Amino acid sequence: MNLKNQQKIMNYELNSEQNKNKVSAWKAIKSLLPILSGESSILIYASIATILNSAVNLIAPLIIAHVVDTYIVTKQFGGVVTFSFILLGLYVFGLFTSYAQTRLMGGTGQRVLFNLRTKIFNKVQELPTAFFNANKAGDLISRINNDTDKLNQFFSQTLVRFVGSIVIMIGAGIFLLSINLKLGVATLFPAFLLLIITRALSPWVKRANTVSLKSTGGLSAEISESLQNFKVVVAFNRRDFFRKRFEVANDDNYKSAIKAGVASNIFTPIFEFAANLAQLIVLAYGVYLITNGNFTLGLLFGFLAYVANFYNPLRQLANLWSNFQVALAGWDRISAILNMENGMQVLPKNNESGAGIIEFKNVSFSYSEEKKVLSNLNFVLEKGKTYALVGPTCGGKTTTASLMARLYDPTEGIVFLDGKDIRTFFASETTQKIGFILQEPILFSGTVKENILYGNEKYKDFSNEDFEKVLKTAGLDGLLVRFDGGLSAKVTMSDALSLGQKQLIAFMRAVLREPELLILDEATANIDTVTEQLLEEILKKLPKETTRVIIAHRLNTIENADEIFFVNGGGITLAGSMEHAVEMLLHGKRES
Amino acid sequence: MPPSAKTPSIFSILTPYRKMIVWLIILATFANGLSLFLPKLISIVIDSYIKGVLNLNTLILEFGSLTLGILLFTYLYTVLEIYASEKVGRDIRSQLVTKISKQSYRFIADKNPSKLLTTITSDIDSIKMFVGQAIVSLVSSTVIIIGAVIILLTIDWQLALAVITIIPVIGITFFVILKMVRKLFVQSREVVDWLNKVISESIIGSALIRVLHTENLEEDKFSVANAKARDTGISILKLFSLLIPIITFVSSIGSLIVVTLGGYYVVNGSMSLGSFAAFTNYITILIFPILVIGFISNIIAQASASYGRIYEVLQSPDEKDSGNFSAPLTGEINIKNVTLSYGEKPALKDVSISIKAKTKTAIIGPTAAGKTQLLNVLAGLTSPQSGSVEYDGHKISEYSHTSFYPQIGLVFQDSVLFNTTLRENIAFSTTVTNESLEKAIETAELSDFISTLPEGLDSIVSERGTSLSGGQKQRLMLARALALNPKILFLDDFTARVDAQTEKKILANVVKNYPGLTLISITQKIAPIESYDQIILLMEGEVLAQGTHKELLKISPEYVQIYESQKSTENYELRT
Repeated sequence: MNLKNQQKIMNYELNSEQNKNKVSAWKAIKSLLPILSGESSILIYASIATILNSAVNLIAPLIIAHVVDTYIVTKQFGGVVTFSFILLGLYVFGLFTSYAQTRLMGGTGQRVLFNLRTKIFNKVQELPTAFFNANKAGDLISRINNDTDKLNQFFSQTLVRFVGSIVIMIGAGIFLLSINLKLGVATLFPAFLLLIITRALSPWVKRANTVSLKSTGGLSAEISESLQNFKVVVAFNRRDFFRKRFEVANDDNYKSAIKAGVASNIFTPIFEFAANLAQLIVLAYGVYLITNGNFTLGLLFGFLAYVANFYNPLRQLANLWSNFQVALAGWDRISAILNMENGMQVLPKNNESGAGIIEFKNVSFSYSEEKKVLSNLNFVLEKGKTYALVGPTCGGKTTTASLMARLYDPTEGIVFLDGKDIRTFFASETTQKIGFILQEPILFSGTVKENILYGNEKYKDFSNEDFEKVLKTAGLDGLLVRFDGGLSAKVTMSDALSLGQKQLIAFMRAVLREPELLILDEATANIDTVTEQLLEEILKKLPKETTRVIIAHRLNTIENADEIFFVNGGGITLAGSMEHAVEMLLHGKRES
Repeated sequence: MPPSAKTPSIFSILTPYRKMIVWLIILATFANGLSLFLPKLISIVIDSYIKGVLNLNTLILEFGSLTLGILLFTYLYTVLEIYASEKVGRDIRSQLVTKISKQSYRFIADKNPSKLLTTITSDIDSIKMFVGQAIVSLVSSTVIIIGAVIILLTIDWQLALAVITIIPVIGITFFVILKMVRKLFVQSREVVDWLNKVISESIIGSALIRVLHTENLEEDKFSVANAKARDTGISILKLFSLLIPIITFVSSIGSLIVVTLGGYYVVNGSMSLGSFAAFTNYITILIFPILVIGFISNIIAQASASYGRIYEVLQSPDEKDSGNFSAPLTGEINIKNVTLSYGEKPALKDVSISIKAKTKTAIIGPTAAGKTQLLNVLAGLTSPQSGSVEYDGHKISEYSHTSFYPQIGLVFQDSVLFNTTLRENIAFSTTVTNESLEKAIETAELSDFISTLPEGLDSIVSERGTSLSGGQKQRLMLARALALNPKILFLDDFTARVDAQTEKKILANVVKNYPGLTLISITQKIAPIESYDQIILLMEGEVLAQGTHKELLKISPEYVQIYESQKSTENYELRT
């Protein structure tokens, strides 16, 4: 038996150094490729369309030149007409290739964006509660919406041009070298310098963009917090607080965005400079070679044209390359989420066994390395009984309940559910057995009915009338009176519903699921005492084998409990009787 | 809300930055203008080489300085472009936040934080893109088009007119497609709002989602919104992938006209070959900027849609100006015939209450009776549809915020915490002194807890206060209100999450440390309020009864019912 079972406390903070992955550009490209899986045929078609379209753009001027030279100069209008039709045909062809090119690539971009967002969102859904404690909502939103969009821009606008540009460049480069090796090498020298400079600058550009994206995430987090907390901002006359904190974030964002922008745009002028430098080399060196009789003027003209063919796509590449760096920076932030591992895996069945519906064996827990919240808890909850957990605030009641529902894993020891290590159950099994009404009631935008039925497959397709019957059987219909508009009443994120009403919804939601273990964490704290009596009646009517765990401060809510546990200072003690419990609660030593 | 009707053009945002934009255009023109000299220089070099007068040193000098000049100007204008776009983005963002920060609480709740978040982040990004990528291209393209058209007209006006017919065709295409795409862009912004909402609800609700194992449900919700985002994106794409080829095609038709018609004129003898050659050259110069405009129309359309949304927020009327009356409050409050409704059914119906200075008043009533709404009205967070709230005979609206709010302490039932230090969370108002901070912490029984923290008051509270227990959060909220040294303290269900012993201590502390305080407490429990000067029983938005505990026991059967429901508990609590 390995009851010690020490576990490492996972670090779920995305912005921490530990969770930053440092990979080379090449590795990053490789890791990007799977995103494109399923798109390969479309990418090929798009590339073909791009090549054909470029061909049209290159051929048309040649045809025009031909018409001028052969027909217009010689005044043969018939030939002009013939070739005009050919041109028209070519342009119509270009119409289609150009359409196909944008349409196909853009479609890929949108689908990649869709897949990426889905992938991240689903990944986030796989992660445990601790992940959400460690990261800010606004930053996550920014990663899912903004950073993915940077990748979309790269895929939809850049990727095909990237390939196209490189093909043209290589072709032109070969021509240059084959016409005159020495001059060719000299002409390509600036490009070689560029390669070195680009390599040297890229990490800086990417870093600047990472900082900027991070700052955008911070800005988003700042705004989202202030908007959610606006009530206090108004009531404490601290509208300036919102503005000031925002200004700091806004300014930080402004500065880092300028740095990122300056870094990203460094390539364009440098590439331009290199292209011009190459022309200068061709002119000077070319003229020198001609003077020595090693080169001809005609060849010089051709050479100049190919230099343009080589360096023009290179100029485009400058732009594309900086887009690529931005995309890589976004990809880093995205992969930080995708690489997160859930520290709470389902374990294979083991031989550990416990008693009752819930047993804690030598359970200790801490949220961070610093402070232990629970130490060495040992207790058993029997089936069908009602338990109360009482104790001062911050004694560890909520944490104890959270461990029962496996919102967290203990750092030491084992929690048993129905006799087996809780970690060997699949989430769906745990959920079926346990109903947990959280301290903070959570509602989603929708109707009251949708919220009651949230996560409940059984009554999903019931009409309002049928569902009301279900509520009536469960004795819950009396609670609906508290909602104007009954089941169809709208729930928004704003304050139209009171905390008490929200708690009622959470209560109905949990009871309707008929769990084996029902945990109420101060679940009725803001409900008036008359309605609360109704809730007690409902709880009493639950099937006999249902175990109830009630956390409350109000004593009347726990007076019907079979056993009372006193939780304080990370430890748990069984109180013999209600009076004993009250005694401990009122006079006991406290550590809160 | 159709933003299209009244939103001014996207270009109006540039007005305050006129100077910068002019410089930007000048620098860009220099950079591009110098580049145009290069081919010329090359032809001069070759000509002079043929003539045998080429000086290699002058070549390197001229060419080199030209190249360096291009490098310099290109760099300057790209940097200025970034600077301009970030500055415009920062300033508009700042305006938005200043505007929002002046709004009422109701405004934020109605507008919905997810949408405002999109406006401040993604919509601003479209504007930045517009300033950073569209302006220079747009101006230089237009200049080139006009210049080329003028030159064409001077060369051969007949042929020029024939060629220029493509411009209205292109114009109409733009107009039609951009009009269609505009709606889609507005739609795509709304989808982003939707995505933000789903993500943010799934984050706030993460614990529940894990308890109920509804991860798949959330994934489905997200997937629907995300698919909508993809489909809108593809619809926009379809239009643009149509727009660009059509424009390319129409401009190619321009060259075709030159070749065919111009060719005819040359064959005819009515046009010289030289003019024809010039014409073909200039037509290529004309086509490229038209294509550029085609590409950037995407950015402009997107920015226009975003600007519509930004403008809507910027134009929303400020909250009715707070008055400028300031006076110390005594604590006397009169609520006269207040009616408040959210939807069809009123949340408060003709409520009238009068509260004397330095007294204790409790508001009691069932869930959804309108207690919290009443508190919001009392604190001026919500304005009632009719009726008034007066402090010392003056309406709330007459008071200036700076005078009024520091005198009232509000403890909400839901905990609202900021991701900053404990100190800043408690001393949230700027008027708080160290002394009043200490006193508030002591009164709220937080000293022990704070002393266990290694960093004490400077410990950082995590977002949504996830690192604190329910009771600690509630006591922090109380300390925040008390730190103001308020004249009037409003408690909304304060005792719900605090254990009985602590609650008793805290209330005793409040009485001891803040003498003369007017207390208004929304509560469920009768025992602590039996001695209060006045108890108001609120039901379904109406005042059902008011009086002292003893009076209410006599006159109100509903009160008696609530009292009875708590009797069993009282036995225990009375023993202490």
